[in-house]
Amino acid sequence: MAKDIPLQTLDAVQQPIETANGLPNAHYIDPDVFNVEKQAVLCANWAGLAVAADVPESGDAKPIEFLGMPLLLVRDRQGQVRVFQNICRHRGMILVSEPKRIEGAIRCPYHSWCYSTEGKLVSTPHVGGPGQNTHEAIDKSLLGLIEVRSHIWFETVFVNIDGNAAPFEEVHADLIARWSDFDQPMYHGGADSTFILEVKTNWKLAVENYCESYHLPWVHPGLNSYSRLEDHYNIDEKGKFSGQGTLVYRQLTGDDGAVFPDFASLDDKWAEGGEYITVYPNVLLGVQRDHTFVIILEPVNHETTREHIHLFYASQQTDVTLRAKNTVQWRGIFEEDVFVVEGMQKGRYAPGFDGGRFSPAMDGPTHCFHDWVASKVADHLAAP
Amino acid sequence: MTSLQDRLLAAHARDDRAALVGLYTEAADMAANIDAACFYLTHAYIFALEKGDPASDALYQRLKAEGRV
Repeated sequence: MAKDIPLQTLDAVQQPIETANGLPNAHYIDPDVFNVEKQAVLCANWAGLAVAADVPESGDAKPIEFLGMPLLLVRDRQGQVRVFQNICRHRGMILVSEPKRIEGAIRCPYHSWCYSTEGKLVSTPHVGGPGQNTHEAIDKSLLGLIEVRSHIWFETVFVNIDGNAAPFEEVHADLIARWSDFDQPMYHGGADSTFILEVKTNWKLAVENYCESYHLPWVHPGLNSYSRLEDHYNIDEKGKFSGQGTLVYRQLTGDDGAVFPDFASLDDKWAEGGEYITVYPNVLLGVQRDHTFVIILEPVNHETTREHIHLFYASQQTDVTLRAKNTVQWRGIFEEDVFVVEGMQKGRYAPGFDGGRFSPAMDGPTHCFHDWVASKVADHLAAP
Repeated sequence: MTSLQDRLLAAHARDDRAALVGLYTEAADMAANIDAACFYLTHAYIFALEKGDPASDALYQRLKAEGRV
């Protein structure tokens, strides 16, 4: 039960890193706590849902189940990406069951009520009797699709399910400013630049592992040859975001020495720099001079997470062979992390584990995330 | 010649919504009374609306003329 989360365990998380504990086991293995965090952390903030490239053309629609909720991602006739509840206002029927191009209207497959791609209810056939398509009790202007608050940044569709979060640009102002160099067109690499990893872990463990560089030499030994631990730095902005950076990013090269084109007008620090930051709660981003990536963590349940990985480039046209090589490289790195996040998940069934301790030198970004989650859960529990 | 009813059923069976626009319009044109016509016109209009078929404008106007939309 929600109120059974001991506040002292949240207090322990929010202590200075030298004395703090991590979130205790229940936050990883208890479905009831998962449901609390669903509300307090995932629905009350700006959660990543999809990438805009999932609906590349006007009229494209993609049903997405997120946290058990049926949602519909649509690019409307004006090209704006919108998120709706994927249900008819009549009898709550699922409107769209598979990705498709809406040629005209979204027609409910049950009684054929029709909606525009902007969500407006445009027709209610036979609602007043056979051949009578209006009824005074049915005001179409009040029965449009229920739109979910959404915001596009970094080609990513963020949603605030409960509708009460501060505006995205306000919540993430510091991160937007930090990465203002990358506020420019970026292009999804297409079908060869996206993949999904389904992992038996709580979604938070994927964040925690992503945030820190401490594990790199042990879990990703291949990086040691050019990206040593001392070449990395922590990013931990309390209450905002966390991650890590590298000072020795090395561009991927093809057999002929070709590289991807750079993003335009980047600061010199990006010549060999790269940063990897979590947009709390569930979006992992990476930036480098010649490509970026987005990982949307889909919390399927308390112990299953789907990682939706997308690679983006500075140019619409990039070399297909080099792109495939890049996808293989990143897939390999992300797959190396799987045993870690699954192992930590299994470890959470050890009775009495206190959430663990943090290295004050190396685990700042992870603690920053724990602290943020704990504060959101505490606020939720304290709410009337 | 295949009856309109058979052609409608066949179009439904193969989920040919573009064909259904024309077939339901044909059914409306052959209907014995205005209520039956508006029933078929409604179906033609809905499938045209879904397909983004320009015929939806004319079908809408026919329904509007009868006070049905």
